[in-house]
Amino acid sequence: MSNHDKAITEAKKEWEQRYVAPALKRFKLTENPTRFYSPLDLPDFDFLERVGFPGQYPFTAGTYPFLPYQAGQKGAGFIPQSPELVRAGRYSGYGAAEDYRDYQKYMQTLGAKTGPNVAFDLPTQLGYDSDSPMAEGEVGRVGVAVSSLRDFEVIYEAFTGEMEIDRIASNFTINAPASIIIAMYVALAEKRGIPTERLRATPQNDILKEFVGRGAYIFPPKPSMRIMQDSIVFITKHLPNLNITSIGGYHMREAGATREQDLAFSMAIGAAYLQEGVNAGLDIDSFAPRFTVNVFGGSMEFYKEIAFQRAARRMWARMLRERFGAKNPRSMLLRQPHAAHIGCSATTLQRPLNNLVRTVVGGMASAMSGGPPEVWPPYDEPLGLGWSLEAIQLTEDAQRILQHEAKICEVIDPFAGSYFMESLTDQIEETCRMEFEKIQDMGGAVEAIEKGYMQQEVAKSAYERQKRIESGEDLVVGINCFTGEHELEVTTNRLVPHPYDPERMELAESKQIASLKEVKRTRDNRIVTRFLKELRETAESGTENLMPRFIECVKAYVTIQEMCDVLREVFGRYEETNI
Amino acid sequence: MSRERKIRVLIAKPGLDGHSRGAKVVAYGLRDAGFEVIYTGLHQSPLQIVNTAIQEDVDVIGLSILSGAHLNLTRRVIQGLKEKGVEDKMLVIGGTIPEADMPKLKGMGVAEVFTSGTSIKEISIFIKDKVKNRGSASFEGKGETNEQS
Repeated sequence: MSNHDKAITEAKKEWEQRYVAPALKRFKLTENPTRFYSPLDLPDFDFLERVGFPGQYPFTAGTYPFLPYQAGQKGAGFIPQSPELVRAGRYSGYGAAEDYRDYQKYMQTLGAKTGPNVAFDLPTQLGYDSDSPMAEGEVGRVGVAVSSLRDFEVIYEAFTGEMEIDRIASNFTINAPASIIIAMYVALAEKRGIPTERLRATPQNDILKEFVGRGAYIFPPKPSMRIMQDSIVFITKHLPNLNITSIGGYHMREAGATREQDLAFSMAIGAAYLQEGVNAGLDIDSFAPRFTVNVFGGSMEFYKEIAFQRAARRMWARMLRERFGAKNPRSMLLRQPHAAHIGCSATTLQRPLNNLVRTVVGGMASAMSGGPPEVWPPYDEPLGLGWSLEAIQLTEDAQRILQHEAKICEVIDPFAGSYFMESLTDQIEETCRMEFEKIQDMGGAVEAIEKGYMQQEVAKSAYERQKRIESGEDLVVGINCFTGEHELEVTTNRLVPHPYDPERMELAESKQIASLKEVKRTRDNRIVTRFLKELRETAESGTENLMPRFIECVKAYVTIQEMCDVLREVFGRYEETNI
Repeated sequence: MSRERKIRVLIAKPGLDGHSRGAKVVAYGLRDAGFEVIYTGLHQSPLQIVNTAIQEDVDVIGLSILSGAHLNLTRRVIQGLKEKGVEDKMLVIGGTIPEADMPKLKGMGVAEVFTSGTSIKEISIFIKDKVKNRGSASFEGKGETNEQS
């Protein structure tokens, strides 16, 4: 121990005896309810090894040297703004294809200049057409219905000219049939005479987390990974401006995962996808830069969520370099649209305006952990999906206030070098690394999911959290504390109509069924039969890439369900493990 | 203390919604509170749920729906229960249910709607009271002493 550290140790002892002890006595406490960090909590701190400058290995301080919105006078909208940055817009989607097309056109009259960030309805996400008995009541509900290329083409009628598909970016929030949607984008480009290598898009294409949270899986993990591998190879070879996947730990967190499970499982899932690419013979640096992360994290614990983001960037970078031997620094970037945030499960239905306060805390955490001051979700989301435009505007204004009035974005990673934040970052990384290794010992993420390990651990954590809320160990304002007859129930009204037209939503199912019937009547059904047979053969072969088959099928207006039914027969379906 | 049959509860996920946190937490909680709990797993059709309820001879069916499809799915489950002549089973709903839809669900025959923020204790007390009053199962076994708060 250096002389300086000895002096600090002495000073700490004196502080505890002369200052802390009397205060504890006065307030009748047995231990200090807070913590104070000193250099003693961060021995042998090596700045370059542990933090580095923003945009430099190990990227603890930030993925990039700065973010474009930080320079912009009008930055910090919902998505980082810059004329140089082509991104998809706000997550949206409802009704039949026509309804969503018209929604996009309407948003464009309000100034929207971004491509669609498509929410698909559940039947589409689960590989069912709008006319399936399984789809009844769910067509166009949580997103737009897409049964065939026809629907996809209708949606993209809103994107032509200045907004042609080689000038915008699209996001597709879909996983099990993600490859089919990518195939539709390719088919659309070919029909419009646009070189497919100019397509920019981010499919979510992160099937493994679906088994742990969110639940939109179709096939068992192993065949799901075969489809994943085919998409990695095809995108790398033919779609250089497409991102391959948008990995999300957030969905697992919402399903109940602890902070450490979220990070360790996400890293294990990311490693499994990367390994698929390597197993297919690709050079890690040829495809790893096309990996993105949707979001990690999601809780109200301000400091820990910031440390989590810092640890996540460092773990990903180290994993790419040490485990996969990446040489290109771009392969090591944990690219995500925003950083820390609170997550929907931190919001409450009761006294919903309180959620605005919660989301501002999340926005501050995001800005202080290397992202934009992302205030999310809209405070009234617990009342129902897409509840009010007012709440959406408030989230955007809150971000603008954080950036332009509070000037929170002036410094990147403001906690860098903090004894507290650095030791917390180390601690989170270490805990997650151990859990990550545990999963590797099981054989990796796929095996851990097949065994039901991740699912059970997350469900257990969710239950533990519920028990802590019910016992009062964890406090949630307005839920298990500060409630009583003298508390006001602050509620909210919707004054501006939401752009999702409820009447259209009600009619979406019948509209979709009618248009699907027309598609099946007018297409060449002999070709459909032949292509489905070829799809089956390719799926059975286990070696040929499925992507060209999907493209061929979608161009012939083979429906999502027709393709997925064939794959269900070949690959089987996943049945949830017991709880 | 009599050793009578525990109240049997089916926690079901109808339709395609994959958000199972609430369903699993309630399943664990009711199990710890002394109920016999059966969880269906995801992506169940209304008919599958009705059949499972009959096979498992449950007293209570809890549907967990967060996708906005609650009116349609609930209607179909109730229709199925009626068709099979087992509409005496108590039906409760959990999930993201807008307040305006609650009277509609209750009008269909749903006993109660539990939205987010509800404690497991509330759910367990509600079910016990109702089932006791109906007399379709008695609840004097080990469940009551095991109940956690």
